[in-house]
Amino acid sequence: MASRAATAMLSRAQRIKSNLQSALEASLLEIEDVSHQHASHAAVRASGSDGETHFNVKIVSTKFEGKSLVNRHRMVYDALADELQSGLHALSIVAKTPQEIAKK
Amino acid sequence: MAAQNISSLSSPLRTFSSLRPGVSPSYRFTNFLFCSNLRPSLPFSSVILKPLRAARFRPLAVSAALKNLSESDLVAVPTDLQEVTVNFPSESGVYAVYDNNNDLQFIGISRNIAASVSGHRNSLPELCHYVKVGVVEEPDRSALTQAWKSWMEEHLRTTGNVPPGNQSGNSMWVPARQPATPRKKPDLRLTPGRHVQLTVPLEDLIHRLVKENRVVAFIKGSRSAPLCGFSQRVVGILESQEVDYESVDVLDEEYNYGLRETLKRYSNWPTFPQVFVDGELVGGCDILTSMHEKGELADLLKK
Repeated sequence: MASRAATAMLSRAQRIKSNLQSALEASLLEIEDVSHQHASHAAVRASGSDGETHFNVKIVSTKFEGKSLVNRHRMVYDALADELQSGLHALSIVAKTPQEIAKK
Repeated sequence: MAAQNISSLSSPLRTFSSLRPGVSPSYRFTNFLFCSNLRPSLPFSSVILKPLRAARFRPLAVSAALKNLSESDLVAVPTDLQEVTVNFPSESGVYAVYDNNNDLQFIGISRNIAASVSGHRNSLPELCHYVKVGVVEEPDRSALTQAWKSWMEEHLRTTGNVPPGNQSGNSMWVPARQPATPRKKPDLRLTPGRHVQLTVPLEDLIHRLVKENRVVAFIKGSRSAPLCGFSQRVVGILESQEVDYESVDVLDEEYNYGLRETLKRYSNWPTFPQVFVDGELVGGCDILTSMHEKGELADLLKK
């Protein structure tokens, strides 16, 4: 399990970033750890995951084209299934296509 | 506007007039903790058992301001309900309602006397012609309760009767007579209890629940007290849409045991809250917020 040992060296934020990047080919990817805002959360304290439990994710990908919001979020969650199993508690997700970003 | 039945009137407490005859203005405060009106049942025993020492630190100022029932003025209730606030204060206190024969019908307490009078006049016009009012300074629960008791006891002493509206079994005066805040619906429970063996898989119960109810929110905590900020926001959005929705507390380990893991699989969605409309997952807090802001949620719910 050499790869697992390697990933364990990375912070959760870094793992989220690399997982999303490879799974969704994001053209823009921003990750912000907001766990401190939820520090009193019972689930956070119970998870024992060093406070890396809540993240804001902003992601732009062509893979979202033609997908509903629910399905875009599911794609993000699918890419992070391992993290969600291991103490990642909640994500705040902004998932857009390059076109939607350009419109603004 | 809350009223008590006489059954709860016990252990006469006539000593409060000697507790603290005058209260300096700096002590005065208005207690709005209970919104604009009281709920019908007041914890009587806690009032009675309160040691006198406590009263020294938090003076019960019923005494100085509140007149006896017999000394208070009888004020006619105007036919035009708009004028009720002219004749009656919108403050907290005790009030006594009389019919047109000057017979006492009911003694109540209220956080807004004018509103309560208006409500009585509306629902029982033939019994609500005159009202006596005693505004209570520092209207915390115990002060209001004591004011109510003093008037009730005075009336009992002088007439030997409990006002008809305060007799147990009489509910004419007690039900909502003014637009109170609508009570929140109870949260739905998926199972009859943790230790009851289910005859169908939990998944099926979830499926049935979201198919049978148009809008269902699976939240952390109850709808009246969500325990997570995201759930709170979802409840707030649904309330602001004024949509009739059901809520399920995924943290309820007694009646929704195992729901979190099963629901995650059922909806293929790993976090909470989760909102379903017409049996389909709409999303969590982010999606609901975004749809709400764009007006898409209103469209979806209107269909």
